[in-house]
Amino acid sequence: MSAAGLMLGAGIPDFGLKNSSGTSSYDIMKEAMKYRKIDSHIHANLFADSDPELLLDYADRLGIQKLVISRPITELDRPHQEFRDSNDIIIRVMKQYSDRFIGQFTVNPKYGKESLEEIKRCVGQGMIGLKVYYQVKINDKSFYPIIEKMIDLKMITLMHAYCGLGRGGYRTKYGNAFPDESVPEDFVDVARRYPEALLQFAHIGAGSDWEYECKILKDYPNIFVDVSGSNNEENMINFAVRCLGEDRLFFGSDNSYYQSVSKILSADLTEAQRKKIFFENYNSILRKGGYNVD
Amino acid sequence: MLIDINAHIGHWPFKQLKYNTCATLLERMNKFGVDISVVSNLNGVFYKNTQSANEELFDEIRSSKKFANRYIPFAVINPIYAGWQNDLEICVKKMGMKGICLYPLYHDYEISDPACVELVKRARDLGLIITFTHRIVDSRQRSWMDISKEWTMKDILPIIQEVNDAKYFVVNAANSMAVSDEEAALLKKTDMLIDTSGRSLSNLGEMIKKFGKDKFAFGTHSPVLDYLAGLLRIESLRESEADKSTKELLRSGNAKRILGI
Repeated sequence: MSAAGLMLGAGIPDFGLKNSSGTSSYDIMKEAMKYRKIDSHIHANLFADSDPELLLDYADRLGIQKLVISRPITELDRPHQEFRDSNDIIIRVMKQYSDRFIGQFTVNPKYGKESLEEIKRCVGQGMIGLKVYYQVKINDKSFYPIIEKMIDLKMITLMHAYCGLGRGGYRTKYGNAFPDESVPEDFVDVARRYPEALLQFAHIGAGSDWEYECKILKDYPNIFVDVSGSNNEENMINFAVRCLGEDRLFFGSDNSYYQSVSKILSADLTEAQRKKIFFENYNSILRKGGYNVD
Repeated sequence: MLIDINAHIGHWPFKQLKYNTCATLLERMNKFGVDISVVSNLNGVFYKNTQSANEELFDEIRSSKKFANRYIPFAVINPIYAGWQNDLEICVKKMGMKGICLYPLYHDYEISDPACVELVKRARDLGLIITFTHRIVDSRQRSWMDISKEWTMKDILPIIQEVNDAKYFVVNAANSMAVSDEEAALLKKTDMLIDTSGRSLSNLGEMIKKFGKDKFAFGTHSPVLDYLAGLLRIESLRESEADKSTKELLRSGNAKRILGI
């Protein structure tokens, strides 16, 4: 019967809600706490609300055991010393809470020789991965020696990434807002050149077009994807699993704490898939260099 | 009991949505223990004549007995389109709708437009709840055919200042919640609920301190956002941030009060 039909002569529908009842007693905190978790993308002391104690407060309430922290320099053309100072901040935090934080170093690839020396220094301090912003694109030639070093170390490279198709909707006219921001195609380019490199495409939930990103990255098994970011669209995780498989996705927050957990809990996944995304996939990467946490 | 004050059926023109029918939304509700959902039809964001969307929603809810006591329908009304007064009357008196959703950015009018003020006053007089959203989708990844602007709490204040004795929902609070002390005082006095689906409620404990425990309610913004973020924000509150009675207000108590159920 159509609405119009009902309107003719029908009384006001009674959306009576007495005895309304869901059929499940879903306990979200029990579900959240039952999975071990490694947050593969989170920043400490980088912006407001990112001091280490606050990160641990969120981690404790959401059952996150390990947090891979970094402090990239988000301004372009800053001197090498700033990157070194930033790494020192992370080293201090990492050592202060050594049972919870795993440290990543950052470098400015424009300072090639100094960057390689800084990597050596940071690894000596117990750091186990690289986080880079967009001082250069990931497939810039100046970045090759750094990727080669990371391959030798069997460590992962996490680089800020974006897909500007939807940013402002003007990609086809104006390009990305930041010319040296890596797009999925740049990751593919470098993954082809270095198939043994471990590459982490950052935050498909950071407001980029995650469908576009997943489709471009689909056939490159050495590109892993973290699902962090404030955007928690309902179908994001299901689509990413379907496109990339269950072994290439990492749980991560990028400091968007609740939706990073809820988007995985609410996705149509098996228990085994949730365990992989929350913990096992990233731990497998750490295991390659002997840094696994179990 | 759990009441979701911010759910939708319908389509988004630029991206496929899952769980966007009354039947599939009900599956989500049953799986995750949601008893009742306030639901409106996203198609009304895009139809020029929004009443067609309201009729679709009404028909869908009436299509199965199992929907009858699980959904509270809200109408999408565009106050600058022909016949909205009659549409509103039908939505309330013949379709039993309990509230309205307004989309000034999509329907291209100012929130202080006299037509909007007239609609809000009329809704108030009918005892309806008026819903505004900070955004429907994240504009950073929008289609080039979608709008670029999003709202903050301050953008919604003018209508609350103009008609401060109406009942309001502010949903998907994704952007700044910053208001002056004077504005905060106004919001505290207003009969309004902010749903917990939006990303700006990352510190819900502090928000409760600022606006009051009677100002928040569980919401999903389904099917656009994942179904559980709003619930996780509530249930992960510590005892010092929200005691048992406060959590009950957030789960359903506040919603029951304002909806009159």
